[in-house]
Amino acid sequence: MALLQIAEPGKSTDPHQHKLAAGIDLGTTNSLIATVRSGKAKTLPDLEGDHIMPSIVHYAKDGTVSVGKSAKLFVCSDALNTISSVKRLMGRGLKDVQKIKEFSANRLTASGTGMPAVETDCGIKNPVEVSSEILKALVKRAEESLEGELGGVVITVPAYFDEAQRQATKDAAQIAGVKVLRLISEPTAAALAYGLDTGSEGIHAIYDLGGGTFDISILRLEKGVFEVMSTGGDSALGGDDFDRAIAGYLVEQANIDKSDRNAYQMAMIKARDVKEALTDQDSVEINFKHWKGSMDRKLMESLIAPIVDKTLAACRRTLKDAGLKASEVQDIVMVGGSTRVPLVRHKVEDYFGKKPLTDIDPDKVVAIGAAIQADVLIGNKSDEDMLLLDVIPLSLGVETMGGLAEKIIPRNTPIPIARAQEFTTYKDGQTAMAIHVVQGERELVEDCRSLARFELRGIPPMVAGAARINVAYQVDADGLLKVTAEETITGVKSDITVKPSYGLNDEQITTMLQSSVNYAEEDMKARMLREQQVEARRVIEAVQAALAESGDKLLSKDERNAIEEALKKLAYLSENGDIEAIEEAIKAVDKTTEEFASRRMDASIAKALVGHEIDEI
Amino acid sequence: MANSQQNYFEMFGLEPNFSIDIPKLSAKLRTLLNSVHPDRFASSGAQQQMLSMQKTTHLNDAFAVLKNPVKRAQYLLHLKAGIDTAKDHTVNDPEFLMQQLELREELEDIVASSDISRLNQFADKISQLEESQEEQMAELFEKQPLNTDELEKAIYKLQFLHKTLSDIEQAEDKLLS
Repeated sequence: MALLQIAEPGKSTDPHQHKLAAGIDLGTTNSLIATVRSGKAKTLPDLEGDHIMPSIVHYAKDGTVSVGKSAKLFVCSDALNTISSVKRLMGRGLKDVQKIKEFSANRLTASGTGMPAVETDCGIKNPVEVSSEILKALVKRAEESLEGELGGVVITVPAYFDEAQRQATKDAAQIAGVKVLRLISEPTAAALAYGLDTGSEGIHAIYDLGGGTFDISILRLEKGVFEVMSTGGDSALGGDDFDRAIAGYLVEQANIDKSDRNAYQMAMIKARDVKEALTDQDSVEINFKHWKGSMDRKLMESLIAPIVDKTLAACRRTLKDAGLKASEVQDIVMVGGSTRVPLVRHKVEDYFGKKPLTDIDPDKVVAIGAAIQADVLIGNKSDEDMLLLDVIPLSLGVETMGGLAEKIIPRNTPIPIARAQEFTTYKDGQTAMAIHVVQGERELVEDCRSLARFELRGIPPMVAGAARINVAYQVDADGLLKVTAEETITGVKSDITVKPSYGLNDEQITTMLQSSVNYAEEDMKARMLREQQVEARRVIEAVQAALAESGDKLLSKDERNAIEEALKKLAYLSENGDIEAIEEAIKAVDKTTEEFASRRMDASIAKALVGHEIDEI
Repeated sequence: MANSQQNYFEMFGLEPNFSIDIPKLSAKLRTLLNSVHPDRFASSGAQQQMLSMQKTTHLNDAFAVLKNPVKRAQYLLHLKAGIDTAKDHTVNDPEFLMQQLELREELEDIVASSDISRLNQFADKISQLEESQEEQMAELFEKQPLNTDELEKAIYKLQFLHKTLSDIEQAEDKLLS
């Protein structure tokens, strides 16, 4: 069968060509993008040679959006319209963040998303939109530098990010128009960066102390498989707390009124300088307001020691979850700028009984690991290279009577994972039911994070207690949750309306996509058509490859004919059809190949099992 | 061929027995995941991704049951005799009930004394009891015909020991923090 080959001038249709992919470290303070070129992962600099991009977005009155260094210029001159540390707002509620100092200069307001939004002179901006601007800027940098369109990205999130925070991150990428291959946790990315460079097998601990978050992950590397054994940390603990502790001391020494915001702001800046100076020096002179004095390393260490100890307590808990002792850890990888503080290194070394690894720049290591993973996921490496097995960082539960949280999926369960639960009605003729999903380890719902409320409708009316509603919770490889429900006696699928507690619903995402300044409606349509065509081409290539490989073995003649017929139709429509027609044709191919795909997967499992047994002999 | 009609043992190419080599099982899991994990289909179509997620979920589920002795025993009893022991129920065995009471009292006593070394000794003792209970379980599952009453009792005992161990862990957590 002759298939239409669609090739743009200068572009090869060779499926084995190197595809462009990147890893993005979307950080609280700074962000980076990296890619694998000629087998080596490297972060990409801007035109001036800077690799690090401040995670700052400025919205000007005339609608101009600037990101990074150029936005940083407005931090003081136009603080109201400049947004820093937006990561702290992702998937959070207004109440959670009102105490955070970074936003003292912004006007935070409630938005229809449950998340706090920022009022700027060019409108109300929710955190997902702001993050999408940072992503767009990074992707633009990469595409200009690589001279081509990115096929997909891997974005890192703190291991401790809950579902709402992960979903918000993925939504930001969708609005930025970037295909997310996978969300991976920052410590895992760091381990990838080190693991591949050193090839060391065994247990690794990743100690990641950034500006605003602390993560500890225990990973096992064996035969190219990275397995997350356990993970823990604190999403509101970081180097900024060091600054705060030092600033508190300065404010006290200088006898300044604690409510003086400006003075406190100055003290924070001073504190950061002091902290950085004491990385190499033993003592530093300080001029703060009218107060003149000095601080030596010992004094600073006494101020920040309780914070470092908190991180070690989390290490202990996480090791315990993995069923390991500190001495069993082979390597400790240090990530995040705050691990430059000597006290952190010393305390970590004491705790684990060995020197932590610091070879790779702690600011770049996460982006580098993400780039390596992106390269694998986009298909530039052969299959056996490596595999990353991740876990769910916080237990998922539902609210039960009396405001208690019943755990459905305990923390550190490998993902993807699914669990089902059976509910029944408690009133005659009841047709609707609400489920409140929460995440966290505490017993009371109010102490856990509220993720979403699911409303089931369309339960067939029966007497109380007769209906059997099976609710299934599926967590995918990105750590994102999907809930489905079915009445098992009648087989009626219930309609589910999801109301994320802190996040965007599908409608809001669509609206934001459409209103995104970069895409006027016409552009949007053209873009969607092009995406649909690319998708069609990909489907055709994939099915053809599958047919060539195992069509003869796994399909009857009729089955094969049906698939080829559907492919032919899709190939025609991808050239001549509109968006909907192509979409329908892809669905038709999916449907005719469903059984084939399933048989192929089963065959590969069977093959793996046999191969394994041969290995054992 | 591996498919969703297979039982958890078959998915890993194993005979349905209580004795399992856990390190071997987890090595096998990794081999299987290597060919079906969603990361292998990150740039494939939605259908492939869905399928891969389902298969991986299924393997993860199977592994979670097989590696846990209580869940494995419950699953095996269900598989071989159709008996569902997953729900909490008590077993009439006065001797074991006595022992149970004594062990609980001992644990409460140790927790009250905050003596971490005594707690560790107690943990060792329970681990040993658990181990011999597991050996007994393996033997029971090999008997033909199956003595399901005995097996139900054995599962109940193992469950109790398992629960006690996790209570010890929690107590240790509290003592250390």
